[in-house]
Amino acid sequence: MNINTVIGPVERFLEDHGKRVGFLILLPLFLFLWLPIIVVAFMSFADSVLVFPPENFTLEFYHIFLDNSQAWSAIFTSLQVSLVATPIAVALAIMYSYAFSKYDFPGKGVITVLIAFPLVVPLIVVGIALTLLFGMFGGTGSYWEVVIAHVVRILPFAALIILPSFLSFDTTLEEASKDLGANSITTFRRVTLPNILPGVIAGGLLAFTMSFNEFVYTYFVRGTGMETLPVYLWGRIEHTMSPEINVISIVFLAVALLMVAVAVLITDVERIAIR
Amino acid sequence: MATKTEQSTINEYSQSVLKYIRDRPRLRVLLLVGPTVGLLVAFVIVPVLIMLWYAFLTGLPPADYTLENFARIFDPLYLGIIWDTFLIATGTTIFTVALGYTLAYSMVRFSTKTTVLLLLVILPFWTNYIVRMYAWINILQADGVLNWALNSVGIVEGSQRFMFSHEAVLVGLIYVWLPLAVLPFYASIKTMDEDLIEAAKDLGAGPLKAFFTVTLPMTKNGIYAGLILVAVPAFGAFVTPALLGGTGSVMIGMVIDNQFNQAFNWNFGAALGVFLTLVVLASLLLAVLAGVEDKILKRPETEGET
Repeated sequence: MNINTVIGPVERFLEDHGKRVGFLILLPLFLFLWLPIIVVAFMSFADSVLVFPPENFTLEFYHIFLDNSQAWSAIFTSLQVSLVATPIAVALAIMYSYAFSKYDFPGKGVITVLIAFPLVVPLIVVGIALTLLFGMFGGTGSYWEVVIAHVVRILPFAALIILPSFLSFDTTLEEASKDLGANSITTFRRVTLPNILPGVIAGGLLAFTMSFNEFVYTYFVRGTGMETLPVYLWGRIEHTMSPEINVISIVFLAVALLMVAVAVLITDVERIAIR
Repeated sequence: MATKTEQSTINEYSQSVLKYIRDRPRLRVLLLVGPTVGLLVAFVIVPVLIMLWYAFLTGLPPADYTLENFARIFDPLYLGIIWDTFLIATGTTIFTVALGYTLAYSMVRFSTKTTVLLLLVILPFWTNYIVRMYAWINILQADGVLNWALNSVGIVEGSQRFMFSHEAVLVGLIYVWLPLAVLPFYASIKTMDEDLIEAAKDLGAGPLKAFFTVTLPMTKNGIYAGLILVAVPAFGAFVTPALLGGTGSVMIGMVIDNQFNQAFNWNFGAALGVFLTLVVLASLLLAVLAGVEDKILKRPETEGET
């Protein structure tokens, strides 16, 4: 009874002003999420990042970035890795999800745990473990070692997004196709794939984004040879503060924006957000 | 160029391969699941086992076995770092889960523009981790945004030192993992049956009571998912403490990085990696057990009520 006299007015207040309370909660949280990103974008036009507010604004550091061959080579290295790792991870995720949704097989539970395992072990642990493995075979962070590391990193996420589209898919359509004489490959291509495509694309876009942003595995595995954009950025930050680093940050932001925009155009936000 | 007969032979051949596979469901499953399992075993499980092996060696193999690497973890220096890591990771998890749940809940219940808000949450999440840390350097540094803002409002005078502290690392980690926590919370709140809240309200519960007796228990699985997604990377963090903490706030992940890339003591690094894995898995196990226990304890009570 006693507690109700305290809670009662609060309850009534919430009942009446829910919308306003919600706004008051949401506003600071979204400011917290976005202010740092806005600061980065703003400071990319500054003549120095060491003092806020900056004295002068300039596009100089955009020019410096455009002429920075090391940064561009890092971008191309990133693309070479991500554009190969993503289709491999997506193909594996599709095959796995297809089997998972269709068949019961021994060890299904164990395999589910295995797929989630990279998610419950800290990145740095798998990063160094991979380094030890490749080191034993004389690896020095070759291209394929970095690609494998990326596939391992993004596969669980691709699988977690793609699997639900198989599970929610009406399998009687596949049976109908087979009854009408199509073989399994034709059925998969003409019936299954178009139905799961939004999920596959969402999974692929997330996988690509994660690979493009991937740092920890690459940092440990790469040896001296491979420098992806995040690894290059890390090396730069350790030495200096420069508006050019903010310009490079804008590249990452643009890639994220582009990927999210494509994802939203093709599928719905909920699908790319919720795994 | 394949002639027509060659083409049809290829077709026949592929048909017979398809038929062979079709008649053998186990082979089919193996072909579909095998590559994924093989990849994960070869490049996650085997490497972690190798790491375990290295942790017991005196040097690069071939080498003698030793417990020295594990003994070294209990040096006061490392115990202090482990304690700091534990405090920061726990703090990060608590704050991130609380803020993330509040955010997700407000998005679902109070806003009509959920799609836009969801976009605003995932965009930072899809932006590079290091970039987001660099943003905080811009804010927290000596003549950075925060000092400017506090000075202009008149709260403080002169430049305050925010960087290279536990607090800076904490803020950085919360910032990085907040969007990731929001997503499972959002999913569980969104998909829960809203009629139950209506029912609770019809039975006389106000918004608060309905929240604590209906929404919170119903979204428990989402909360666990968010908890795990934040706690695991927070324990293993090394980018954030390296950039925002420096020598002022060292976490275990930084030490592992150091052992690998500067000290070249891979064996001690591996031992620390094993230790970190055990701590994380033990915490997860505890969380799961606590959850299971909760369910078992709750059951008689709910049955009594109905």
